[in-house]
Amino acid sequence: MKKIGSSIEKISRVKYDQKPLEYWGPTPDEARKIMVSKSKALKDKRTTLQEAVKTHIKDGINLGLGGFVNTRVPVAAVHEVIRHGARDLTLSMQSNSICCELLAGAMILDPDRVSIKRAELAWWGYEIIGIAPLLRYLTSNGMIELDDYTNYGMSVRFKAAAMGIPFIPVRDHGGSDMELLNKGTMMECPYTGRNVYLVPACHPDVSLIHVTAADMYGNSRLFGAQCTCAELAMAGTYSIVTAETIISDESIRNYPNLTEIPHPAVDSLVEVPFGAYPGACYGFYWFDMDHIKMFRAASEEFRKTGDKTKLKQYYDEYIFGCANHEEFIEKVTDEETRKKLKEMDGGQPVILT
Amino acid sequence: MAEYTPMEMIAYTGSRVLEDESIVFVGTGLPIIAAMHAQHTHAPNLLMIYEAGSLAPLLEMGMPLSVGDTRAARKATYLKGLCGVFELTQRGYSDYAFIGGAQIDMYGNICSTIQGEDYRKPQVRFPGSGGAGAMAANCEKTIAIMALEKRRFVEKVDFVTSIGFGDGSPDYRDKAGVMGSGPYRVITNQALFGFDEETRRMKLLEVKPGVTPQEVQDLVGFELIIPSDVKEMKEPTEDDLKLLRETIDAEGHFLKRQIKK
Repeated sequence: MKKIGSSIEKISRVKYDQKPLEYWGPTPDEARKIMVSKSKALKDKRTTLQEAVKTHIKDGINLGLGGFVNTRVPVAAVHEVIRHGARDLTLSMQSNSICCELLAGAMILDPDRVSIKRAELAWWGYEIIGIAPLLRYLTSNGMIELDDYTNYGMSVRFKAAAMGIPFIPVRDHGGSDMELLNKGTMMECPYTGRNVYLVPACHPDVSLIHVTAADMYGNSRLFGAQCTCAELAMAGTYSIVTAETIISDESIRNYPNLTEIPHPAVDSLVEVPFGAYPGACYGFYWFDMDHIKMFRAASEEFRKTGDKTKLKQYYDEYIFGCANHEEFIEKVTDEETRKKLKEMDGGQPVILT
Repeated sequence: MAEYTPMEMIAYTGSRVLEDESIVFVGTGLPIIAAMHAQHTHAPNLLMIYEAGSLAPLLEMGMPLSVGDTRAARKATYLKGLCGVFELTQRGYSDYAFIGGAQIDMYGNICSTIQGEDYRKPQVRFPGSGGAGAMAANCEKTIAIMALEKRRFVEKVDFVTSIGFGDGSPDYRDKAGVMGSGPYRVITNQALFGFDEETRRMKLLEVKPGVTPQEVQDLVGFELIIPSDVKEMKEPTEDDLKLLRETIDAEGHFLKRQIKK
């Protein structure tokens, strides 16, 4: 039983079993061993998404999802994971929308190809557009195990992993039901004597991250909100980074302060313009609400009626019907749409030279 | 008096509650609208934090539709990631948490995780804490927005996502290891609530003109503290409504939503 700070169990109606604490991915020691074993050379990491996914994505892994809700989300990489197939996944993320719903939909259509066993997370939804229908379907039917944290809790679990420490003290979760049911634990601070909550490091096996720009070695820049992308890249034992654009090594060396993800934290690098679409990428394009709504409507129809026809059509047309992200973007947008999305972002300057 | 909708009353009241020269950590929707209204009127030096990583952005591209919207990062003074802004909050830079939720109890504990009693298989799964749990823990004061309905103002929440005063004991928050002083205001379209210093229970502060304290009590699933000096809520003027409808949420993304009956 966990030591707890207060009488939380008397305040709410929820019931849950306290689980033995276990890592849902590599332990800090395992993660360190893998990092030490890798070549640290500045070498060309560029490849195709097919190759990157084939190399790193396996059944049973903990898959870290980058971005935040619909900002700089790794949609291109998730499409390729779905085409490739991956079962018994653990997802780890702070807040995400379309990436986890896309994986959930793939599971509903063909659990022998893609399945999510569990997720450690803070939030899964569509914000203004509505609730996430497929999450609701999976949870109402007890098909997925969840472990709840706050956005800071998940972010700082990746940060602790990136720092190479096994846990980190935080000032939240205490006094909420998350205190009892997640993997954190309350303890007395050895210095102040006050209660303080600890959350364990979270090392995904593979992190999927879409960055603004990177050189061919993987040194990456993040413009706009940085979400938890740098922490996630460094927490993962392996990472697949898609970049909106590839920039010169000379530029990286002229402004080394702008590098947020250092090259050894990147295993596979793929240049994918519109790689976060229908999510947004600051300085390049705003999110495409119509497309997200279209996918959500197909998901909601399935949840309400059990009819998978429209959901299946979406996957057949936009994921299995496209060899890569370029084909997907060609299929779903025209020049005018792309121009409009760029205007709606507002075109804040990003440094690419 | 100008005609206004319940959502407009909530946004206007939210604006009134925020003080100038402070920092508010905003959630999506009405909190953003309320903070923008305050900036346009009585609090030009009110600054916003958006949890994807920005402090004090200039919202030149219009109202962000989510807290991760790229528009919420535009021309910020400080732009990092989630760790950056939540650490500002832990450190004490953030005066207000401005959040919503599905249920609230008399001590201001808020649920936004599940409906039902079985965590493994809930009747309804909501998106989860997101930033709310961390904001309610560590911003100095928590402001909650909720529709005034019996199914939301409940005796016992299904799940505590965002800490309030817990069971009401004086040291609940201290033992929980959180830093903020806790629930401050609860804003609805018909009433504004605060919390009693002695008991930490929800207290009626103001009612909408024409609404009686008893009518408010009838919509709440626990006993409110109703002092003798309950005031009338101030109503938005034509200028306030013009600002809300034509400048802040011109496309009606949030203000045109209906409160479900």
